[in-house]
Amino acid sequence: MAYESILNFIVNRGTDAIVAMSPYDVFNLPYTIGVKIWESLGGLIAWLINLIFPNNGVSDWLISDPVTNGFAIILMVVVIFAVGFVFCLLMLWEERKVLGRMMDRRGTMIGLKGFMQCLGDGLKTFMKENVVPKAIDKKIYWWAVALVIGTSVLLACMVPLSNRWFIVDYQAGLLIIFALFALAPFLILCAGWSQNNKYSLIGGLRAAELMISYEIPMLILLAGTVLMAGSFNINDIVAYQDTHMWFVIPQVIGFFTCIVCAVAESERVPFDLSEAEAELVEGWQTEYAGMKWGLIMLGDYFRGYVACALVVFMYLGGWAFPVIGGTDWYQMYLPEIVFLLKVALVFFIFVLARAALPRVRTDQILNIGWKALMPLSVINLAIVILLKVTGVM
Amino acid sequence: MPMKYLDKYPKKFKGTGVIAPLGKVLRHFFTKTVPHRPVTILYPYEKEWVPDNYRGRPGLRFDRCLGCGICERVCPTTCIELVEVADDAGNMVKRPQVNIGRCMMCGYCAEYCPVDAMTTTTDYELAEFTRKDLIYDPRRLHFEYTTDMMEVHIEEHLMSNIAKGITDQPTAFYKTDRPVLEDSKCISCSKCAKVCPVNAIEMIVVGQNDKGKDIKRPKIDDKVCISCSNCVIDCPKDALKMNEVL
Repeated sequence: MAYESILNFIVNRGTDAIVAMSPYDVFNLPYTIGVKIWESLGGLIAWLINLIFPNNGVSDWLISDPVTNGFAIILMVVVIFAVGFVFCLLMLWEERKVLGRMMDRRGTMIGLKGFMQCLGDGLKTFMKENVVPKAIDKKIYWWAVALVIGTSVLLACMVPLSNRWFIVDYQAGLLIIFALFALAPFLILCAGWSQNNKYSLIGGLRAAELMISYEIPMLILLAGTVLMAGSFNINDIVAYQDTHMWFVIPQVIGFFTCIVCAVAESERVPFDLSEAEAELVEGWQTEYAGMKWGLIMLGDYFRGYVACALVVFMYLGGWAFPVIGGTDWYQMYLPEIVFLLKVALVFFIFVLARAALPRVRTDQILNIGWKALMPLSVINLAIVILLKVTGVM
Repeated sequence: MPMKYLDKYPKKFKGTGVIAPLGKVLRHFFTKTVPHRPVTILYPYEKEWVPDNYRGRPGLRFDRCLGCGICERVCPTTCIELVEVADDAGNMVKRPQVNIGRCMMCGYCAEYCPVDAMTTTTDYELAEFTRKDLIYDPRRLHFEYTTDMMEVHIEEHLMSNIAKGITDQPTAFYKTDRPVLEDSKCISCSKCAKVCPVNAIEMIVVGQNDKGKDIKRPKIDDKVCISCSNCVIDCPKDALKMNEVL
């Protein structure tokens, strides 16, 4: 019975009343989940209050439309964050398992084939002592790390999983994600400077150096995608790829360049210059002890998730799927799952690069960025313009 | 001008240096480690196969042991000590006791044991909570799964045999070395006969001295002797010497 009602709830895509109450013009699944949760939770509270004080105004107020709307939005954000958070933990698990197998190891082993290790590590960093050095610039030290983590989480929440799973359907969605993404190296530089530590400072400076090498090719690649789709809106880009073809086919150069840039953007091996645990103790994170460091690592994985999601949006058709993508049952059940699977697939390439390649030397990074990635991205842009001008795409 | 810019590129395409390792790791991932199990052994739950002649802690077959003390003497770390314990019949006998904390698992005791009572074992999990627990008494040295492979033999070839072209008759010191008596030093004290663990020495009366007491000389049964040197060591006048053949 309960299962049937859930099925109906998904199949009927919410009632018109919910859409009318919501701040959205279209059906939004997390918002509808929020409404349903509040209907049961707030309804329970209202019923209990009504039992004690019959015919009071608070019970009616709790289940009135504006209050339900407000709580539904809060619950919606919680749901969206929870899905992103759990998927980040899954990516962490994927990395540890796949990396282990690539090195003939077993990877993590604790609980659920090693998944529970993430929670164990989180708990461990949570229990650790909160060491703060004396001679730091306190304001920047705290604000920089808070903003790095905050922007990472914000980015992860801004990624839409499908055309019904989003917070805001931006017209400039991709551009805003890129803008927030590019904020981190600046904050890392600040954090490295504030710690009064040579290793941290070098790490921060390296982050800035890394940024000037990958950011420009990345934006030129973004121009290619946007030109081809004719919109910055992620929904439109995915819809365009669904109706025409995935951009990975005409822009295959761009796809591989974008993967390199995305690895650099999320500061993972082989582009983890700012962390470089073999050279700089822990890079810019050296003086961040305990849960600060744990959250920074979590933020790193959030950024990795967003970088993979960007590649999927720009080249792999987002939540669309070629043949079965138009069917009703696909639209009902699968788009979010397909999208997350694609993200996991791109992340597998990230892990492969991590397993196979050594860290890029500091003096090579500008050469790679400006002599290899930049010409490739310009060639990609030229191909896009050619296809657009000739009217092929 | 553009050509000048291009000259700064390496002549050979270096991209393969990045792609080749990626391909290799991917192939290894899908052909080796995914279909087969990883190299890692989950140690406490599963253990690696150990050959029978693995040199773990020393083991003792209590019934075979004669208490001759060769193991005590050859032990490089002097971790073996002969202690008195009751055997199955209740008689007090001397048997080796091993301090595993000092043992270096060389297996000399097993190699030199003339009756193969000392053996090596495949037991390598020897951690204990106290130092006292590390001392294995003769009964504890017993190892349940002792096989023939765990008896480590010395296999040496006599030079005379090699000269004759015989290479399939290995021998050991306890088959060849025998104590010899320097007659003038002997004082007929019979100590050698008392200390001999295999009763290979028999005191034979060869005459009488001026005071009318018997003059005795040891007669060594070469077939029974295991060349443990106990008689040589305990002789008060150094009348016995080991004739070392090997």
